Amino acid sequence: MNNWGFANQKTIAAICVVSWGLIGSNWALAQDSGKELFQQRCAACHTVGEGRRVGPDLVGVNDRRSASWLLKFITASQSVIKSGDPTAIGLFKEYQIVMPDQSLSGEQIKVILDYIKEPGGGQEASAVTATAPEATDQEIAKGQDLFQGKIRFSGGGPSCISCHNVKNEAVFGGGILAKELTTVYSRVGEQGLRAILTNPPFPVMKAAFDGKPILDDETHALVGFLKLADKENAFHQPREYGWIMFGSGCVGVIALLSFYSFVGRRRKKYSVNQEIYDRQIRSE
Amino acid sequence: MDIRSQISMVFHLDKCIGCHTCSVACKNIWTDRKGAEYMWWNNVETKPGTGYPTKWEDQGIYHGGWEKNGDGISLRGAGKRKGLLNIFHNPSLPVIDDYYEPFTYKYLDLIESAAGDDQPTARPVSMITGKPIDIKMGPNWDDDLSGTPDYARNDPNLKKLSAAEQEAMFQLERMAFFYLPRICNHCLNPACVASCPSGAIYKRGEDGVVLINQNVCRAWRMCVTACPYKKSYYNWHTGKSEKCILCYPRIEAGYAPACMHSCVGRIRYLGVILYDADRIHEVASASEGELINRHMDILVDPFDPTVIASAKKNGIADSTIQAAQNSPTYKFVKEWGLALPLHAEFRTLPMLFYVPPLLPVMATVKEVRNRKQTEKLGPISKVWDNDWLYDTSTEEIWGTIDQARFPLKYLANMFSAGDESKIKERLKKLMAVRIYRRWKTVGDITEKKAMDALREVGYTPEIADNVYYLTSLAKFDDRFVIPAAHREHAIEMLEFTGDKKGSTGFGFKEDTMKRGL
Repeated sequence: MNNWGFANQKTIAAICVVSWGLIGSNWALAQDSGKELFQQRCAACHTVGEGRRVGPDLVGVNDRRSASWLLKFITASQSVIKSGDPTAIGLFKEYQIVMPDQSLSGEQIKVILDYIKEPGGGQEASAVTATAPEATDQEIAKGQDLFQGKIRFSGGGPSCISCHNVKNEAVFGGGILAKELTTVYSRVGEQGLRAILTNPPFPVMKAAFDGKPILDDETHALVGFLKLADKENAFHQPREYGWIMFGSGCVGVIALLSFYSFVGRRRKKYSVNQEIYDRQIRSE
Repeated sequence: MDIRSQISMVFHLDKCIGCHTCSVACKNIWTDRKGAEYMWWNNVETKPGTGYPTKWEDQGIYHGGWEKNGDGISLRGAGKRKGLLNIFHNPSLPVIDDYYEPFTYKYLDLIESAAGDDQPTARPVSMITGKPIDIKMGPNWDDDLSGTPDYARNDPNLKKLSAAEQEAMFQLERMAFFYLPRICNHCLNPACVASCPSGAIYKRGEDGVVLINQNVCRAWRMCVTACPYKKSYYNWHTGKSEKCILCYPRIEAGYAPACMHSCVGRIRYLGVILYDADRIHEVASASEGELINRHMDILVDPFDPTVIASAKKNGIADSTIQAAQNSPTYKFVKEWGLALPLHAEFRTLPMLFYVPPLLPVMATVKEVRNRKQTEKLGPISKVWDNDWLYDTSTEEIWGTIDQARFPLKYLANMFSAGDESKIKERLKKLMAVRIYRRWKTVGDITEKKAMDALREVGYTPEIADNVYYLTSLAKFDDRFVIPAAHREHAIEMLEFTGDKKGSTGFGFKEDTMKRGL
C-alpha cells in the first residue's frame, strides 16, 4: 500500500510541475510588448534608423508602405514576390534574400509597427551593444569546435554542422539542409550574426533552438570563427579537376579490377555442372 | 612404436546392390534438418560416374588432399601460407550447384487443392529458398548411367586411360558399372584436421573418429576443400562445418553405425585395427608406388606381443585389443589381403577399405549352335532364333580377369594409386574363392583346378572357407566387432570423478527447491 501511495504522490507532483509550466508560458505570451517582439523577431536583420543590415532600415516604414501590404509581406513575403508586386520584387533584387515568413498574428504585427512608429521607437531595441572585442585564437578554435559539434552547446542546442556547411580546411562535410555559411560574415555583418544567433528569426532554426539558447561567449566564439572562415575564403582557390578527376577514377577502377582478377585468376568460378545446367529446359 | 587403436571399415563392393538404404538411414538420423538438406554424409555413387559432389576426385578443381613436396608432404590447397592467403576467400570451394540444390515437393497440394478439372500436382520447391524450382540435379543423379557422355565419360578416373581403352569400356556389349558407397574415411593423416585454421577438427584418441567441434568451428571452410573426398560439408544455417561422425553415440553404446546396421547387402564391416602412429609421416610421404604397401605395413598385428605391450602402455584397454584380434576389417585388409583404400594417392591414409568388385560378371558373347537345345523346349518356351550365347563359364582360371570388361587400369586408378598388379592380385583371390566354392557346391570344376587356383593366390582351403563365411554367411556380431567405449577412462581424463561422488542421484541434476528454513 505504501508503494502505491508513493507513486500517487509523484504523479500529483508531476502534474503540478507541468501545469505550472503551461500557465507560465501563457502568461509570458500575454506580456508581448512591441519592444520585446521587435527584439525577438526583427532586430536580427532590421534596424530603425541605424542603417541597413540583412534587410532594410525600417525607419518610416509605416509611411512608405500601406499597412495591408506590410501585413501581407511580413506573414508571407514569397507569395507577394510571386504575385508580381513591383515593390517586393525590387526589394528582393536589392537584398538578394527572401524574408522568412513570420508566424505572428495580425495583432502582434500591429503592435510592432506601432512600436516602430513611436518617436525614437525601435532605436533602443535595435541598438547593439558596443562592438565586442576581436575574438582570440583560442576563441576561434572554440568556435570551430562548436560549429563542428566537437563541443556541445551548453544550452543543448544542435551543432551548426548538422545543417550548415562552411568551406574551410578545418570543416569537413557539413550539412546541406540550410544555408552555406562561408561568407555569412560579409553578408550579414557582425551585428546581424550576433542577432541571428541570439534570436534566430528563421522558423526551422528558431524551432531547433527553442528553449536551448546559445550563450554569449559561445556566440562570440562562433562569430569569431565565421569571420575567420570568411576572411580565409578569399585565399581559397578551389581547384577545378573536371575530366581529369573522372578519367583518373575510371583508370583507378580498371586498375583495381584487373589487380583483383589477377589475384583471383585461379579461382573456381563456375559450378562444374554449369554446362549441363545450361542445356536443361526450364519451366519459366 | 606408438600403438593406437582405430575403428576401421571395410565395404565389400561385390555385394553392394546400390539401394541407397545406407544413405537414407544416415540422412534420417543426422542430416534431416535446416542447413544440412544437401549433405549426404553417406552416399552411394555409380562408377564410372562423376559422383557427389560432381567430379570430387578431380583435385585440379577442388585442390584437396596432400601432395608430395620433396621429402615431406604439404596440403594441396590449404596449410599455413596458402591457407592464410586465401582465408577470407577460399578459391576452390564447391558451390551448392556442385552438390545439388535440395528440394522437396508440395505434397499437401495433392490433398488440399480445391476440386477442379485438373489433377493436382505436387510442385518441387527448393529447400533453401522455399520457392518452386526446376530440379537440376540430385545427389545420385548419375545413378546407373554408365556410358552417358555427361557423367560416366567425365569420370576423373578415366584421365589416365587411353582413348581406345575408354572407348572399349563404353561399347554397348561391354558396358558395366558398379556402386561405390562412401562415408568419411576417418583417415590416419586427415587433411581436414591439418587445414583447419581454428583447430576445431580433431581425431579422437580412443577410436580415431574424426570430429568437428561445433563450438570451435569458425566457418573458414578450409576443411571443405582440403578433404579430397569432399566429406566435410558447410551448414549454411548454423554457419559451421559438419561431417560423418561414424555414429559415435551408437558405437559407444555398442551399436553399429546406422548406415552399416541398415545395409541390405550386408556389405559393411567394422572393427578395430591397431596402427603405429610414429610412422604416419613416413608412410604418408612414401613414393606413389610404395603408398599401398607402406599403408598396409603401418597396420600392425594385434597378436604380436610387442604390439600388445606397446598398446597397453598407451592405455588401450584389453577389451579393445581383443576386439582388434577379432576384427573383421583386419582380416579383410591384412590377413587375407583383399581390401584396398580408396585413392591412396591423396595421402590421407584412409581407414575405410574396399574389396574391389569382381562383378560385373566378366562374361563373353560367343557363337554357338542352339538348335538341339531349342528342339527340347516346350511349345510355350521363349525361343531365341539367333545363335549367340552369353557365356559366364570360366574356361581358363584367370582368363576373364585379363579380359575384364573394365580395364584393370580403371580400378587401379581408384583403389591402388594406379598399380594394376595390386588390383589383379585381389581380384584373383576373389576369383579363387569363387572357383573353390564352385567346386564344392556345383561340382563342375575339378578339385585339382580349385586347389591350383587357391595355391596360386596363396590361400589354404581353410582361409577360403573363412573368406566365404565372412563374405556370405557372417552374422551381425561377426561383421561388427565394436569394442567397449570405456567412457569411464575418457571422463577421467577430463575431470576428477571423486568430485561428483556423493553429490549426484535423485533430484540433483538441477537444484531442488529449498525448504526456506
